[in-house]
Amino acid sequence: MTFKPVPAAVPEVSLGDAFVTTRADAVVNWARRNSLWPFPFGTACCAIEFMGTVSSMFDLSRFGAELVRFSPRQADLLLIAGTVTYKQAPILRRIYDQMLEPKWVIAAGACATSGGFYDCYCTVPGIDEIIPVDIYIAGCPPRPEAFIEAVYQLQQKIGTESVAARKAVGA
Amino acid sequence: MSIVAAKPLEAGVPAERILAQLAERFAAVRDGRDRWGLTVTVARERLRDCLQWLRDEPSLHCDTLLDVAGVDYLAFPGHRGPRFAVVYLLKSTRFRHRLAVKVEVDEDDCALPSVHDLWKIADWAERETWDQYGIVFRGHPNLKRLLNHHEFSGHPLRKDYPCQKRQKLSVNDPMVDQLEARLRQRGYEVVERGEVSAGDPLTFREKSP
Repeated sequence: MTFKPVPAAVPEVSLGDAFVTTRADAVVNWARRNSLWPFPFGTACCAIEFMGTVSSMFDLSRFGAELVRFSPRQADLLLIAGTVTYKQAPILRRIYDQMLEPKWVIAAGACATSGGFYDCYCTVPGIDEIIPVDIYIAGCPPRPEAFIEAVYQLQQKIGTESVAARKAVGA
Repeated sequence: MSIVAAKPLEAGVPAERILAQLAERFAAVRDGRDRWGLTVTVARERLRDCLQWLRDEPSLHCDTLLDVAGVDYLAFPGHRGPRFAVVYLLKSTRFRHRLAVKVEVDEDDCALPSVHDLWKIADWAERETWDQYGIVFRGHPNLKRLLNHHEFSGHPLRKDYPCQKRQKLSVNDPMVDQLEARLRQRGYEVVERGEVSAGDPLTFREKSP
């Protein structure tokens, strides 16, 4: 973002720094990445760590992502924290479908990224079999610092996106 | 050996006497492999009578069915006899003793009589055992899967099930049939019915008198 000072040599115009010039992408992405509204899909111990992350000790609100919503229609960040079974998978897919674009997904912890140690008949081996994922967090469960790092990385990613380029569904 | 806990509420019955009674009435024999408490094996034909007697006999009073567990002895070291077994774990809240009743189940005739009328919890316990082992409980009112989803095929705790085989679920299983029946029983009625398979909720309202 750059300020464009009005030249003092033009006496008719004395608007000062009332003008700001920037790119649309920069200003939209700035707004989007600093007001992420997470929907926590918490199914296991990773969700407990997420509670610590949004609480006062680690305070995710410092990065503008503390306003946890429990309706997918009001959220733009789906945060899967925990094990997802095949029986739950259609529910997760439906929640993802109910979120409005633009939306992002963080898979938190070993289970959400790969199924973890549940190498068995009932556990989804990574939620990217069901929905697209932007950021993966390692750990079993990951510490709150890892959650904050994931949100930070997602903010960097959002900063590179283009508003004009239509986001393909599921991209 | 006594199976009575350290502080019985009332005087319990020694294990030897229970064994003798069970042997006399139901030709039950002690399972030599039991590691804790007392496990007796009975024939399938006498299973229901045996369990009912254990529940109703005042000196035993096994009023709680803790669990119904399936066992698959396929590839079990040194095992002879039928492939499956089902273990009924009983507990007396009055005497605080526990008792396990085991019945062997043949693979070709994989069925047992249901005891859902003796203990209510047997309803779900038998559904789970059928779901995981494929053992049919004859006379069960609603023998459908409890843990696995409704598109699942096979019985995953059988030792010959390929445990890494994935079975995706395409349509959500709302599992509200029992909830709906219970709410109707309590005087509620359905006022709005969404697309249940898509996960839309049912909306209930108390019936006006």
